[in-house]
Amino acid sequence: MKLIIYFIIIACVGLLMSCASVPPKELIDARQAYEHANAGQAAQLVPAELHKAYEALAIAEKSFQDEPSSYRTRDLAYVADRKAKMAEALATTAAGNATTAKANKDYQTTQTEIMKNTKEDLAAQTAITNNTKAELAAQTAITNNTKADLATQTAITNNTKADLATSELNGAIKEEQLASEQNARLDAEKRAADAQADLVKLAAVKEEARGLVITLSGSVLFASDKSSLLPAARDRLNQVADALLATKERNLTVEGHTDSQGSSSYNQELSQRRADAVRSYIISRGYPSNLIQAHGIGKDRPVADNASAEGRANNRRVEIIVDRADNHKESMNK
Amino acid sequence: MKHLNMVLLAGSALFAATITGCASTPQVNREASTSAIRAAEESGASNVPNASLYLQLAKEELENAKVLATNKEKEQAESMLLRAQADGELAAALSRGDADKKEATQAIERVQQLRQDNQLPRERK
Repeated sequence: MKLIIYFIIIACVGLLMSCASVPPKELIDARQAYEHANAGQAAQLVPAELHKAYEALAIAEKSFQDEPSSYRTRDLAYVADRKAKMAEALATTAAGNATTAKANKDYQTTQTEIMKNTKEDLAAQTAITNNTKAELAAQTAITNNTKADLATQTAITNNTKADLATSELNGAIKEEQLASEQNARLDAEKRAADAQADLVKLAAVKEEARGLVITLSGSVLFASDKSSLLPAARDRLNQVADALLATKERNLTVEGHTDSQGSSSYNQELSQRRADAVRSYIISRGYPSNLIQAHGIGKDRPVADNASAEGRANNRRVEIIVDRADNHKESMNK
Repeated sequence: MKHLNMVLLAGSALFAATITGCASTPQVNREASTSAIRAAEESGASNVPNASLYLQLAKEELENAKVLATNKEKEQAESMLLRAQADGELAAALSRGDADKKEATQAIERVQQLRQDNQLPRERK
C-alpha cells in the first residue's frame, strides 16, 4: 500500500514537472518564426533586425526557464515572435527596395540603350538620307546630261531636218534645173529637128561623116561669075539662116564650089568670095561669127559630071556644113 | 528645530505619495505602444489585409493593458503594452513592405513597358 502511495506521489511530481517544462504556445511560435526568418532573406538583408529577434527570443527563453508558466514568459515570447516576423517583413521590404532600385537602374540602362539605338538609327537614317541625296544628285546630273544630250540631239535633228530640207530644196532645184535643162535640150533638139525639116524643104540636105551638109545651088544664089547674092537668094538664105539659128551653137563651115570651067585660081578665088558672102549674110542674121568659117574649094570637089550643063550646074554650089555636136564639143575642148 | 523640519517634510512627502497611490490607477507608459499603433495607421495598415490583422491585435492589447492598469495590475499591463507595441510595429512594417512591394512591381512593369514600346528584347533574369 505504501508502495502504491509513493508511486502516485512520484507520478504527480513528474506530471507537475513535465507540465512545468512544456513551453507555452507563444514561445513555440516564436521559435518557429525565428527559424523561418533565419532561413530566409533576413540574415542577409536585415541582420540587425534578425539579431533583435534573436535577443528577444533569448529573453523569452530565459524567462521560460525562470518562470515557465508566467504571463511574462508568454508576453516575452509573443514579442519575440513579432520581432522575428518583423525581421522577415523588413527583409521582404529590403528585397522590394532592392528590386525597385534594380528596376530603376534597368530603366535608366534601358533609356540609355534606347538613346544609343536611337542615335545609331538616326546616324543610319542620316547616312541613308545622305546616300539618297547623293543618288538623287547623281540622278539629277544624269537627267540634266540626258536633257542636254536630248537638246543636242534635238538640235542635230533640227539641223539634219534643215539640211534635209535644204537638200530636198537643192534637190528640187537641181531637179528643176535638170528638168529645165532637159526641156531646153528637148526644145533645142526639137528646134534642130524642125530646122532640119525646114532645111530639107529649102535645100538638099544630107548627113555625111563631116556633118549635116546643106547644099544650095549656085545659080539660085549668084549671077554668073558674080559673088554678090541675088535678091531671091536672100529670101532663101533667110529661111536657111533661121533654121541654122535654131542650132546656132554648132560650128558652120561655108564652102564655095565651082564647075571646071576657067582656071583653078579664078575658081578658087570666086568660090572663096561666094563662101564669104554667104558667111557674112548668115552672120548678119545673128549667127555667131566665131562659129562660121568660109572656104573656097574651087572646082576640086565636083559632085556631078562637068561635061554636061546639068552637071556643071550642080557643081556650082555652096555647101553649108553643120558640124556634129560631138565634133563641136571636141573643137571647143581643143 | 532643523531636525524637526526635515521630519515634517519627509512625513508630508510620504503622505502625498500615499494619497496619490490610493486615489488613482497605476501609471503605465503607453507612449511606445500608441506611437506604434499611430504609425501603423498612418502607413495605411488598415488597407493591407495582413497588416490590418496585427493592427487590430495591437489595439485590443492596448485596451487590455488599460483594463489591467485599471485593475491595478501594473506589471501585467506593461507586459501587455509590449505586445501592443510589437504588433503595432509589425503592422507598420508590413504596411510599408506592401507599399514597397507595389512600388517594386510598378518599377518592373515600367521597365518592361519601356522595352516593349521600343521593341527591345525582354530583360534577361
